[in-house]
Amino acid sequence: MSRPKLLNGIRVVDLSMGWAGPLAARHLADMGAEVIKVEGCVRFDWWRGWEATQSWIDDDNAEKSVAFNTVNRNKMDVTLDLSKPEGNKLLKRLVAISDVVVENYSAGVLPKLGLDYPNLKQANDNIVMISMPAFGTNGPWRGYRAYGSTVEHASGLPHLSGKAEWPPTMVHVAYGDAVGGLNGAAALLTALRHKAKTGEGQHVDLSQAECLFPLGAHGIITQSATGKAPERLGNRSREHAPHGVFPVAGDDRWIVIQILSEDQWLALADLAHGALGSFGTIEDRLARVDDLEQTLSDWTRTFEANDLMATLQQAGIPAGTVRANVELVGEPQLEARNFWKFMERRHVGNQPHPVAPYRTDAAPFDIDAPAPTLGQHNTEILRGLLELDDEAFAALQANDIIGTRPRMA
Amino acid sequence: MPASVENQQFGTSRRGTITDQALAGIKVLDISGTVATAYCGKLFADYGADVIDVEPPDGGFSTRQLAPHVAGVHDPERSAMHSYLSANKHSVTLDVTQQTGRAMFLSLAADADVVLEGAKPGWLAEIGLDLDALQTAAPNVVLSSITWFGQTGPYAQYAGTDSVCHALIGMVRGIGPVEGPPVLPSGYQAQITAGLTAYIGTMGQVVARELGNVSGATRLDTSIFEANLCFTDVGAVGGYFSGTTARRMGVNRFPPTYPLGIYPCKDGWLGVTALTPSQWKSFCKLLDLDIADEPQYQTTLGRLKDAPQMDSVIAERVREKSADELFNKGQQMRVPLALVPTMEQIFTIDQFVERNAFADIHHPDQGAFASPVTPFRLFKTPPRFGGDAPRLGAATQSALALSDDRFDALRAEGVI
Repeated sequence: MSRPKLLNGIRVVDLSMGWAGPLAARHLADMGAEVIKVEGCVRFDWWRGWEATQSWIDDDNAEKSVAFNTVNRNKMDVTLDLSKPEGNKLLKRLVAISDVVVENYSAGVLPKLGLDYPNLKQANDNIVMISMPAFGTNGPWRGYRAYGSTVEHASGLPHLSGKAEWPPTMVHVAYGDAVGGLNGAAALLTALRHKAKTGEGQHVDLSQAECLFPLGAHGIITQSATGKAPERLGNRSREHAPHGVFPVAGDDRWIVIQILSEDQWLALADLAHGALGSFGTIEDRLARVDDLEQTLSDWTRTFEANDLMATLQQAGIPAGTVRANVELVGEPQLEARNFWKFMERRHVGNQPHPVAPYRTDAAPFDIDAPAPTLGQHNTEILRGLLELDDEAFAALQANDIIGTRPRMA
Repeated sequence: MPASVENQQFGTSRRGTITDQALAGIKVLDISGTVATAYCGKLFADYGADVIDVEPPDGGFSTRQLAPHVAGVHDPERSAMHSYLSANKHSVTLDVTQQTGRAMFLSLAADADVVLEGAKPGWLAEIGLDLDALQTAAPNVVLSSITWFGQTGPYAQYAGTDSVCHALIGMVRGIGPVEGPPVLPSGYQAQITAGLTAYIGTMGQVVARELGNVSGATRLDTSIFEANLCFTDVGAVGGYFSGTTARRMGVNRFPPTYPLGIYPCKDGWLGVTALTPSQWKSFCKLLDLDIADEPQYQTTLGRLKDAPQMDSVIAERVREKSADELFNKGQQMRVPLALVPTMEQIFTIDQFVERNAFADIHHPDQGAFASPVTPFRLFKTPPRFGGDAPRLGAATQSALALSDDRFDALRAEGVI
């Protein structure tokens, strides 16, 4: 088995770092594109580590980041110091024989290096290039710095979660990153369709903050269509009850139960053998919701989470265990669908990788290779693809344009 | 803030036309109309594909029941959420469970590139519309299924919701107060994420056909549960190696990053993140904190240990200041601070206005309201900014090429 050949013949230069950009490029890699990640030995992907010291480097910690490894599989890796003329020139030569460039620097970095879209378009008139800064390539915030958390803040989304008396409530440490990455992949495939049809490349951008607006569309549209923001009700609903997160046996163990129809309510009441007998219509349940939640909690607490989830689901009731991260590798549904693929990687060992989140009827997409080590493919790319001779390659090494270990600045 | 943004600089004139768009000539049918399939179809429609919603004649897609309803009227033509999802699409009514409706669907699907569906696994085969049937009409079709748990596995027939998926992926466990219960994200975030993910998978197949890398019909299977694991897979792999799981630490507190949070200022909310050593030092300088050089605070995890004490100091320092001022000043110092705009403020933020982040959706029974524009921008072949959402069945007669008599007869039979 090997990864699908859907995007065979498409070459991608991946200048991006962190989570969002690399995830966008990974989707193309998972579908068979040839993705070449470009890093510097000083400016290496910060997701390998953001607190580098010499001893951290000496211990090969730049190769031990599971975060980095998760979003960079199926890629090749070449080092180039883009701030030096030789490195800069080689990047343009690489772009000249590629179809796509992915970058997520903050605005201003690539223009300074002479590697922004107008410059790269001169190297390749039909290049598709995506820029994925936090707030987009134009506007007063274009140069502003952000992580996935900053992007979640700026999207207003925190005003749509939690209770009214809490501060606006985040849902993730880096929500904006993954969503930005998905939008990046979507954008590139849309642009590749135009290119396949017409031969034309183009510049594409996205604002990672705007990428979260569709996720908050229910709130944004409630404001614009009714003049009011939605209420912050915690886990409750104005229309359904019970609707929330309930305790089960064990320390900090919980289950989501959301009753959305009368049939589901009757099925739940039936399973509870009279424990919920004093509650009736939806109007009654909503009016006595504190009581209802307490009574239901007393019942759910007597079960182990996964047993209760199975019992409820078999009765047609939407329910799901609140899982911990350690329960995901080995999760029954994911196991049955071969969601995790284990691959050996230097410095890491046998690491589980999530397969692409779409599959054909036949099988999940296979994965060819784990994430590359720094500069792992310097020879293939520079000697092979760009046809440098021994002398030129040795000069790049001698002048620290390339390398296979990080260096302190 | 007016409900409509029509008269501002990014009005209807910014809408692209079908022929110059990236997905011109692509034909997509949505047979289920869940939030997930609808959002996937919306991305196709906004980039110029011909997208047809094939809705059940009795009331249409279930998204027509979703809040908010304009003027509070619970009617299939009043759901603004549905209009957001279905703008720039066509609506046809057809009962595909009837023999006549099924045959008409197959002729409507002639040469379709994509059919989107989100029914319980097995239902399509039951009504005779599985891949074998579809490919007789559309030999290169991508039958793209987006369901809660995928087509196979022990959960395949389970009932899902956005919250159930958020719980199962491990995200919910980290949200909310230490003394639970943990907190659920609101709305349809899991389904929107999955619709976007399915768009990527489906477009991969479409582009592969254009490139000549593959041919023929195929079935694509996207699980909403698995699509949302993109938020927690990194943490899952970390947990696999460490064998440990962090406990919930409180509202807006997520390891390993600290400072991290949202604080009230005199004029709004300030979002704070300081990750790297230099951001930490600049952040201390901005707030005039004298703990920048404390050795135990040189790493994110070291700072996280003292978060409760540090949090009250930060809150104290920003309370009387302007969020806007701190945000801009912090950003000049390369600290990733943010304004956290309310739903009311979000339409007026300069950055979002300048980028036309919102545009009007029109519906004959709803007037116009502002909604998010497709967030990725192809500059040469732009998306549509806003658009028109159709009434139920507005395109039934034209899309199915029905004479008036035939139209009336089919309507009487309940087929359309």
